Amino acid sequence: MKKRLLTILLMLAMVVSMTACGGKQAEPESADLSSAGWDEIVEQAKGTKVAFYGWGGDENRNNWLNGTVADYLKENYDIDFEYIGMDINDILAKLTSEKEAGEENGSIDMIWINGENFYTAKENGLLYGPFTSQLPNMEAYVDLDDPETLNDFCKPIDGYEAPYAKAQLVMFNDSAVTPETPKNADEFLEYCKANKGKVTYPALPDFTGSAFVRNLIYEKCGWEQFQTMEADKATVKDAIEPALEYLRELNPYLWNEGKQFPADSTALDQMFQDGEVVMNMSYGPFSVASGIADGTLPETCQTFVFENGNIGNTNYMAIAFDAPNKAGAMVAINAIISGDIQLTQYSELRELPVVDQSKLSDDEKAAFDAVDLGKGVLPQSELLTHRLPEMPADLVPVIEEIWAEEVVGK
Amino acid sequence: MKDKRFMKAVLVITALMIFIPVVVIVIWTVTARWPWPSLLPESYTLRTAEELFFGSHKLTEILLSSILLATLVAVLGTLIALMTARATEIYNVKGKRAISFAALMPLLVPGTVFAMGIQVTLIRMHLNDTITGVVLVHLVAALPYCITIMMDVTAAVGDSLEEQAAVLGAGPLRSFVDASIPQLLPGILSSVSMAYIISYSQYFTTLLAGGGKIKTLALVLVPYIQSGDRALASIYAVVFVGSALIVFFILETLIHRMVKTK
Repeated sequence: MKKRLLTILLMLAMVVSMTACGGKQAEPESADLSSAGWDEIVEQAKGTKVAFYGWGGDENRNNWLNGTVADYLKENYDIDFEYIGMDINDILAKLTSEKEAGEENGSIDMIWINGENFYTAKENGLLYGPFTSQLPNMEAYVDLDDPETLNDFCKPIDGYEAPYAKAQLVMFNDSAVTPETPKNADEFLEYCKANKGKVTYPALPDFTGSAFVRNLIYEKCGWEQFQTMEADKATVKDAIEPALEYLRELNPYLWNEGKQFPADSTALDQMFQDGEVVMNMSYGPFSVASGIADGTLPETCQTFVFENGNIGNTNYMAIAFDAPNKAGAMVAINAIISGDIQLTQYSELRELPVVDQSKLSDDEKAAFDAVDLGKGVLPQSELLTHRLPEMPADLVPVIEEIWAEEVVGK
Repeated sequence: MKDKRFMKAVLVITALMIFIPVVVIVIWTVTARWPWPSLLPESYTLRTAEELFFGSHKLTEILLSSILLATLVAVLGTLIALMTARATEIYNVKGKRAISFAALMPLLVPGTVFAMGIQVTLIRMHLNDTITGVVLVHLVAALPYCITIMMDVTAAVGDSLEEQAAVLGAGPLRSFVDASIPQLLPGILSSVSMAYIISYSQYFTTLLAGGGKIKTLALVLVPYIQSGDRALASIYAVVFVGSALIVFFILETLIHRMVKTK
């Protein structure tokens, strides 16, 4: 990811030098949209098309978006909604080129985004906004004072993205193979010793592996100090020294003795499915239930978290700076954060909803409670009471760099 | 004798090396769980077939657009390559060495860099997110191979038979079609197949030039490979390889028939 980011930046530099004198900017409709009333926006969105771009590797999500969500939008707002699978790096690369070429009418309306990517995109003016204060469902369903509504990886959102779903790091194993579930870093070390060579985590900067390492850092160093920490390598390294010590101590008991790590969470998923390792982890708190339902995981799988809590974050929906249909995107985003759609996301995709429980009506509450999450997962309440905030977005790459220097093969 | 046996062994081993992975992929299309060290999957599923035929991706539509796009690129690429090869190999065009070198240039630039650079150009030309843009970008990717193939065959075939035909009174078109084309045919076929498969398997360039609006099989297949859904990736891979083979078979039959009837 970092390499990709670097490539994009280099590319950007190149493109800038090539197009220094070309391209003029004009924002045709955005000016009137920001002061438009909601009815006006809905009216403008009627009969239009909305293209939502995001990661396309989850068949269930693809089907939910192009099915349930698309049908809902067609029926209620007469919008043709389409989900297009594209990696966030490619989306940002595309937007970067469009920005440099002076494009005013792109093809991307909505983007699935969070964390570092949001931070970079917002800094580089690739997003349209602020727009979230115009969405009625933000007020109606979302907790506006929740830190995760205000900040994304500790960076201010400023109304440039609306919550989509909540993710939380969980660990899981097969109770038929290893019945114990480590409750903290020390127990995890014991677990690795007992299952020598059969535990590992994805190599950073993989999203999941990176979160797991941050979670172990929280275990060893607490989480509060990082919330306001400056992204200075020496400062960060000093602060996480006990965790680095611990990670090096883990290495001899890990798969391949910690000389190598699986390239990404995909590789670790496959190693777990094949029985090469005994423990796995995921950012999708209910992914075990989906795996059991699909038949890719055995029915005896169990999810667990550390007693001090696991890192959780929210992913969001943003609007591209050159979105051809900003009004349509706003209507679609507003619909997706509604109780109705969040409920289907919870029941069909088993994703943690972003709605505030206290803002739901009794009927809605009952509907959420009635959802059968499936086997092998923790209930929502237990996840939310064991939820820790993310670190600032700019600390993440620093930690990844330190990990590569100080932990791998040490 | 010994030599023959050795060659046979090499042939069998090569065939197995191609055949076995294909069989494994076919088994994966219906596999739910296949943990080590089982020789066969532990449990099976039909979810992949369900997704393929009833999922949100419209299979026929995607197949048709991929095949049409690749065929268009194959035909155009081979035509351009044929003309380039004739110009450099038969006629003494100025700077022909520069031309043949320039034809290979796209191979030297990494795909990602190329795709991003070309995207800015396409936006300026208002060709981004259009089929024309995608065809142009695929052509650039396919042409180095087409041109190399066509240059080799054209150089080997030469124009002596064409001259003969001309001496016998045939016009330039007729002498080219009747005398040269049949000899160039194997080269034309390789060039068409090569361009077809290159266009068919383009992912990143299609994504950037087509902006996700132009849908091909590779665009659906690659995310499933990246996300590690082996069963779904396998079934799409089977569709990918299978459809390409069918198209090759049809193309080959068509071209051969066309030549025979001449």
